[in-house]
Amino acid sequence: MDVNVIIFGKLIDITGSSSLTVNNVTDTAQLNEQLRNRFPGLSAYPYIMAVEKEIIHVNTLLQNNNTVALLPPYAGG
Amino acid sequence: MKERKPKNIFVQGAIASSFIADSIQKHSSKTGIGGHSIFLGQVRADIIEEKKVSSIEYTAYEEMALQKMDSIREDIFEKYPLACLHVYHSLGNIAAGEICLFVFASSAHRKAAIDACEETVERLKAELPIWGKEFFEDASYQWKENK
Repeated sequence: MDVNVIIFGKLIDITGSSSLTVNNVTDTAQLNEQLRNRFPGLSAYPYIMAVEKEIIHVNTLLQNNNTVALLPPYAGG
Repeated sequence: MKERKPKNIFVQGAIASSFIADSIQKHSSKTGIGGHSIFLGQVRADIIEEKKVSSIEYTAYEEMALQKMDSIREDIFEKYPLACLHVYHSLGNIAAGEICLFVFASSAHRKAAIDACEETVERLKAELPIWGKEFFEDASYQWKENK
């Protein structure tokens, strides 16, 4: 299935874009692997993932057209 | 939990001191309030490797941040006897010396206002998906990290 990936903060410097579509992924582990293959620089930075605005802590099944966000450490305030 | 639209906290650009003054003035009709506690975050001109920060450009995952702020607000209201709690955070480019965060807690008595204000600031810094790009005077930049 296809998922929309949105990217924030420092990670945009690595992906060169704040959003992209990834095809043929079934879960977040697979998505992460594809992203790291495509953008090897990602492995050097800490980030967490959110599926439909919910932070995930374990590998999570994806549904078609889910939005997955890559969130580097927060720096508000 | 009932579905409702989370309250917006984001403002484009710096938070004007006149906005803060108006905000205080508006509370004069709420005469049950005996204490306000206000926290203002200001963009600091940090010196990093001999370069001075001239501004911070804030971006956020807005929808997620507003949802999260809503649940923080609920927790804070459950924990402290507050009359009201207002939070504003800047987006966009904010020059050093300008205000980028305004947290305003009000209660009948000071302790609840002070504690709620502090806890809200700590939680929003840790839990809201907001990022800052620190621009130096020579237009180079680095991504801000919260300490």
